[in-house]
Amino acid sequence: MAPTFVVVNRKRRAVTAEPDTPLLWVLRDELGLTGTKYGCGVGVCGACTVLENGRAVRSCQVPLAEAAGKSFTTIEGLSSDGSHRCQKAWIEEDVAQCGYCQAGMILSACALLEEKPEPTDADIDEVIDRQVCRCGSYARIRKAIHRAARAARASR
Amino acid sequence: MHTRRDFLRTSAVAGGALVVGIGLDGRLLAAPTARAFGPNVWVRIEPSGKTFLTIGKQEMGQGVRTSLAMILAEELDADWTQVSLVQAQPGPDFKELGTGGSWSVGGSWKRLRLAGAAAREMLVAAAAARWGVAADACRTSNGTVTSGARKPIRYGELVADAAKLPVPAAPKLKPIADYKLVGSRVKRLDGPRIVDGTARYGIDVKVPGLLYASIERPPAAGVGVASIDDAAARAVAGVKGVVSFERGVAVVASGTWAAMKGRNALRVGWSAPSGRGFDSDEHWQNLEAAVAEPGVVTRKVGALPAAKGVAARYYYPFAAHAPVEPMNCVAHVKDGRCRIWVPTQAPNRVQGQVAEALGIAPEAVEVTPTLVGGGFGRRLNADYAVEAAQLARKLAAPVQVLWTRPDDMRHGHFQAASIHDMWGAVDGSRAIGWRHKKVSSPHNLSGPPTKEDLADPVAYWQDSSWGAYDVPYAFPAIETSYVRVDAPVPIGPWRSVYSPSSTFARESFVDELAHAAGADPIAFRLAHLDDQTVKIGSLSVDRRRLRRVLELVAEKSGWATPPPPGRFRGVACNVYDGETHVAYVVEVSVPPGRSPDQLPFIVHRVVCALDCGVIINPLGIEQQVDSGVCWGLSNMKGEITFKAGRAEQGTYKDFAVARMSEAPSVEVHLVPSHGEQPFGIGEPTVPPLAPAVANALFAATGRRFRRLPIRISG
Repeated sequence: MAPTFVVVNRKRRAVTAEPDTPLLWVLRDELGLTGTKYGCGVGVCGACTVLENGRAVRSCQVPLAEAAGKSFTTIEGLSSDGSHRCQKAWIEEDVAQCGYCQAGMILSACALLEEKPEPTDADIDEVIDRQVCRCGSYARIRKAIHRAARAARASR
Repeated sequence: MHTRRDFLRTSAVAGGALVVGIGLDGRLLAAPTARAFGPNVWVRIEPSGKTFLTIGKQEMGQGVRTSLAMILAEELDADWTQVSLVQAQPGPDFKELGTGGSWSVGGSWKRLRLAGAAAREMLVAAAAARWGVAADACRTSNGTVTSGARKPIRYGELVADAAKLPVPAAPKLKPIADYKLVGSRVKRLDGPRIVDGTARYGIDVKVPGLLYASIERPPAAGVGVASIDDAAARAVAGVKGVVSFERGVAVVASGTWAAMKGRNALRVGWSAPSGRGFDSDEHWQNLEAAVAEPGVVTRKVGALPAAKGVAARYYYPFAAHAPVEPMNCVAHVKDGRCRIWVPTQAPNRVQGQVAEALGIAPEAVEVTPTLVGGGFGRRLNADYAVEAAQLARKLAAPVQVLWTRPDDMRHGHFQAASIHDMWGAVDGSRAIGWRHKKVSSPHNLSGPPTKEDLADPVAYWQDSSWGAYDVPYAFPAIETSYVRVDAPVPIGPWRSVYSPSSTFARESFVDELAHAAGADPIAFRLAHLDDQTVKIGSLSVDRRRLRRVLELVAEKSGWATPPPPGRFRGVACNVYDGETHVAYVVEVSVPPGRSPDQLPFIVHRVVCALDCGVIINPLGIEQQVDSGVCWGLSNMKGEITFKAGRAEQGTYKDFAVARMSEAPSVEVHLVPSHGEQPFGIGEPTVPPLAPAVANALFAATGRRFRRLPIRISG
């Protein structure tokens, strides 16, 4: 089978998998990037969220054929050392409980802040309402997003 | 005597290996090491100063990896920046790794204090010997021993000397009042690995040669495989085989997607079920009819007066756990041994049950517990590990079994539905009688209650009705009872177990009585909480502590002053296991135009007053209040229904859970640390949430909401 090329975390990767394989499983099983999580497989929980050119996408809904030639960022690619402002905000607000949903939450937060550098609570609701945290970390996610927004403002 | 923590107990692990470390009798034994200092199984310090603390409970978000490490580090006076965690595996040293019942901190407290204190004493003795001073002329702090103006010695430098010393039989514990780390706000130790994606959950485990399996399961109980057409499944690229075994038909492949795709292509003919299959609508009718039965009286105080009083029935639904990480397990059976990697709340149970299923000794089963992406009581059940082991044995290769979301929602165990038949009467402003009959289904994961279980039926059914029989108020006449109606689906532990249903009914109905008495809901509760500590069944309830959290929540919520316009308040409180006391005041509004995907009301604010005895990590406690509030809101939003023997829901859309826009701001007020014992926090924040909201909805609408999930129509 001819390989399919996908850019993941700024590296061009050759993937040999069926064209209908969701990007989620390409990342996890072919590329060993297990930071992106499986929660439902039908695009309802957001645990599989990755960034495609800065936009949040549900990797369980992106078949490899559609991912071909595109550029994706996973949680592992946000920074080499946890220093991305969203990662730092997540630590400062001590957001995570079990932590399983948080990669998806952090990446959605990144995408939101790209589009709306000073999001309102309603902006945050609109995006994060589409994701599930069973541990109930939502209030801290909200605080972390506002904190990351302030940090960006301060560094401008 | 069946205590509420018995569901954590596993079958005894056979084998007479020497117990090294702190045994259940508290004896401390030195473990010989070449370079490190490891006086017991909980603490190991390297010459570099790196301090390894072993954690003997499972992390599922409740923060135990951090809180238990804090206890060890406090008594040890460790350098917190040098701490690394080791997750214990089942074995002769670790027989009590089971995690649940909000008992991790309470149950580990004493042994971890002793372990840390013993290590510290030995390090001090080593330093004292080096300096030629008495031990009590030395102080420890931050991984360093000091004595007067002498140059401090770091623990790492003392490791070789300390390792030669005898382990003290009865080390001196620090007075709790001197604690610096315990009681302070400490960020979750696993945080950095969670935000950089390197945290490893069960689903993330990869081993060489790993196969992936997806299991097509019988859709209902009592149904078996009649025929298998696997031609299309085998034709899917990556599928290695189709295996029929105890749990169903497994499609095995070289990757997760191929296994799922192969399973979708499988055609399994199931045998016809013997009956219509479990139907929850019918079950509700059965529960309703059973209210007429006397059941077993679980508490009797005084004699109920012959007054008309107030009567109401409360309805609490079946629920699923639905953690975001679905059930999964990696198993490898080779040369008569089994290797397991699993996200679990019960590693010892996994070891024992896998051993039994494979017909090998428990010592031949090595279990590596991973981080758990949500437990909530689901992962006390070892079912998904046993099936992985059974499949692994057939395949003679390592295999990961991953449940899909619909599998996870339909084929696990459930929180039981219940009806609560309430009656009460007041005379003026005082209650004169209280009756609470709970109609529900016992846990059945190891089969129905046995003759031994029911040898003391009062104790057994008390233990199935937390929050009902242990009604904390000093009502002069009380009668509580339990009527059993079995449910032929797996019923087992779910966060707060028997408490959320009973507490929903109890705390809502106390409000109904208060209303009948024309009394303020908080004043009414306080009027029925004297200064007594009462023994109720196996529990001891100190009413003063419940008064304290009610008074605190009244003060902090501004209960005596009106809420903002359009907002309405409700109160509820609970004592969890006689230990942790929680009171909520919530502020809600009921605006029009809510979408069908949302709760039909908005919770704007939750004020929480909480007493958990000794406070370990206030930051962790606040997270658990956030957590219990959202769990309670989810309980008001979604339910599981059954038709033709199977659960109808299979996604987060049809089993609705709380979302960001529904999460209120939460203010937590902790009663300061007191006493000598910390109490649990993982579950106690759940039960009072739903009734507090229901009571607020009454204030908002004049209507009582006696059924969960909440539906406001018209």
